[in-house]
Amino acid sequence: MYRNDEMMKKLDEFLLDVQKPSRYIGGESGSVFKDKEDVDVRFAFCFPDTYEIGMSHLGMKILYGLKNRVPNYWCERVFMPLPDMEQKMRERNIPLYALESLDPIKDFDFIGFTIQYELCYTTILEMLDLAGVPVLASERTALTPIIMGGGPCVCNAEPLCDFFDLFAIGEGEEMNLELMRLMEECKKNGSTKAEFLEKAAQIEGIYVPSMYDVSYNEDGTVQKITAKAPAPEQVKKRVIKDFDSVYSPENFVVPFTDIVHNRAVVEVLRGCIRGCRFCQAGFIYRPFREKKTNTVLEQTKTLCENTGYDEVSLSSLSTSDFSDIEGLLETLTAYTSKNRINLSLPSLRVDRFSEKIFEEISAVRKSGLTFAPEAGTQRLRDVINKNIKESDVLSSAKIAFEGGYTSIKLYFMLGLPTETDDDIRGIYALAKAVIDEFYQNPNRKKGKSPSVSISLSTFIPKPFTPFEFEPQASEAEIKRKQKLITEVCIDKKINISWSKYDVSLLEAVLARGDRRVGKAIYLAWKKGCVLDGWDEYFDFDKWKQAFAECGLSMEFYANRQRSYEETAPWSHINMLVSREFFVEENKRAHAGVTTPNCREKCSNCGVIGNIGGECCKNLR
Amino acid sequence: MPNVNTRVFFSKTDRAKYISHLDLYRVFQRAIIKSKLPVWYTEGFNPHLYIQFMLPLSLGQEGLREAADFRLTEEISPDEVTERLNAALPLDLRIIETAVPVMKNTDIVEAEYEIEAELSREKFVEFVQSEKILVEKRTKKGVSEIDLKPNIKKLEIGDKITIRLPAGNEFNLNPALLFEAYEKFSGEKIPRLKITRTRIFAGNGEDFR
Repeated sequence: MYRNDEMMKKLDEFLLDVQKPSRYIGGESGSVFKDKEDVDVRFAFCFPDTYEIGMSHLGMKILYGLKNRVPNYWCERVFMPLPDMEQKMRERNIPLYALESLDPIKDFDFIGFTIQYELCYTTILEMLDLAGVPVLASERTALTPIIMGGGPCVCNAEPLCDFFDLFAIGEGEEMNLELMRLMEECKKNGSTKAEFLEKAAQIEGIYVPSMYDVSYNEDGTVQKITAKAPAPEQVKKRVIKDFDSVYSPENFVVPFTDIVHNRAVVEVLRGCIRGCRFCQAGFIYRPFREKKTNTVLEQTKTLCENTGYDEVSLSSLSTSDFSDIEGLLETLTAYTSKNRINLSLPSLRVDRFSEKIFEEISAVRKSGLTFAPEAGTQRLRDVINKNIKESDVLSSAKIAFEGGYTSIKLYFMLGLPTETDDDIRGIYALAKAVIDEFYQNPNRKKGKSPSVSISLSTFIPKPFTPFEFEPQASEAEIKRKQKLITEVCIDKKINISWSKYDVSLLEAVLARGDRRVGKAIYLAWKKGCVLDGWDEYFDFDKWKQAFAECGLSMEFYANRQRSYEETAPWSHINMLVSREFFVEENKRAHAGVTTPNCREKCSNCGVIGNIGGECCKNLR
Repeated sequence: MPNVNTRVFFSKTDRAKYISHLDLYRVFQRAIIKSKLPVWYTEGFNPHLYIQFMLPLSLGQEGLREAADFRLTEEISPDEVTERLNAALPLDLRIIETAVPVMKNTDIVEAEYEIEAELSREKFVEFVQSEKILVEKRTKKGVSEIDLKPNIKKLEIGDKITIRLPAGNEFNLNPALLFEAYEKFSGEKIPRLKITRTRIFAGNGEDFR
């Protein structure tokens, strides 16, 4: 088994001087070691955030296990060091290294980033730079390392095109191995980078940005996107057809230190039947597919036994939409309670929050409960197609209060399309109704009082949603609405918090940006922006300067109404849901008309045509 | 149900030296669960797996024969315990031996360390010949000044430095203190210092068992 002893020696000299050194050294149980001589293709899997965040991410664990199953491929983990560590590395000329071999990642064949949120873009550049790899793709001429990206953000990867060689659009299980096989071949044949990219572009789901030209209209919008042969005109998202038998990791790398979610995680379903109009995940992960109850049970058992975790969580966009949810919970709790394992269930919907589900989750632990009505009035919830009613929220609150909970958190968005001041007042009214629900419980504990936290975020229009045409509300408008709610909210049992506008604005700009935004990202990074998702490092002034210096307006990207006819910067990417559907849904939103979920009725979103009639075949 | 006191002797080297004492409990707990050894949980409202480490090791120091106790609820051969735990532990934590505890952790009085340090040998010899070696010892109660000199039970300066110091819950001296004091004395900065605890002793000069 191989380990870079030279690097270990260098690290030993200073690791004790940084915070929590164990996150920089690897060697955790479950991590995979190989003999370098037996390995033909090496992959550095980078999560552009800290170890604690990245190690909690399920996608990384899936692809790590999947690639390492192939004897002559070696996938290793890489995270962004915090400033104390980074400074020491730079002082000593230690390049970014992978946690298994401790080898510098610049010597790997692939450096792959999972791109989960827009605010990690500068961190990607910082990691490449720390690795000693030129951040601009045009300055990298050798076959390796190939810099690639995947994850939800790459459905509009345009702002990142200057930096990446290719993107993997959609589900990565098959694509990643195909790319590694191609690399194995190209290395043997002595192919050039251009030859590799040309072949890669022909793999379904692979987007090679250098093989597409973009032209712009005078008003700054995109005029045309042209593919260069043999790249396809449209890059079609990759989907795993047989989800029940897709690879599921049998083991996790279990960190020494505590991380954000330190537990086993089992994926129960992919996609979502709901179609909430603001929610990108609800569209880009279609079609809806679920595992069999028994598959989930077996995977839970295997994972808990192999990792030694005493907590397991189910992962999905909406766990309560699992067709056999009650059967699943019964099956799982029979196993977990016998083995001293906690079962946690994020992502439950209030309209499916039954007493039965409640019993199963509260048997384990009484943490706070969070519901997400998203909007304060039925009118606005209809606009966004969040098909839940006030009575659903109240009946869930009732069950929770009767079960002994006293505090409930409610999530809302500000700045949704068509929002009026009445909708803002409705947020308070709903919170107040939840408080009243507590006092209507005759068996409530005397001397206890309920509390409701209202958490307000700013609506961010995302590509591949019916709201991709919508302007983001201006700062003045959001501030006015925040003020309004604090004025109407007079109940001391309700407290209100909101997220920073600047952060949401930047996220909106990056989410719907075009290729020109890459220059601003580069400049912001040059000015020192990194880890923008962290309050303590976020520096909006630098971002503003960066946009000004390259003559770009943030408002153009974030706050402009886009017409249905405009060519979107991402129009050459096919996420299986059709543009026509989004236009239709946008019109229905403005008319206040809801759309039924996929289980009730197919709304012809386009997925069926794209994957050959297999969509949702088990739904009805 | 039988309640079998079990003591494992283990090494904590290489990458594992960066596992903090707090995290070490978690790592062992998971390994025990993975190994499916029948272990005893504390009773009460919130039962947890009982593991006791004999002598905490400072972060960054290696240990060749550390000790931890837990209880089994079935008789299992020591070799099997060793084997099953080794299959479950991270690579750089290795069980060397499993045994029935002979001594109590309060019997520990001294420990021996082997140190690799890049420093001027002559200067170091001069330093340890000083009449007093005053160091600042930080404890929960605050900082106190201690003379290391009378507490050094054994000192050999060769390619490596071997030193024996008081150890245990009552009075424990970290060998790193000696090198902090040396840096002050010499004005040198030691670029690389590798400290390995090689042995733990009980009162009568016997190895802790």
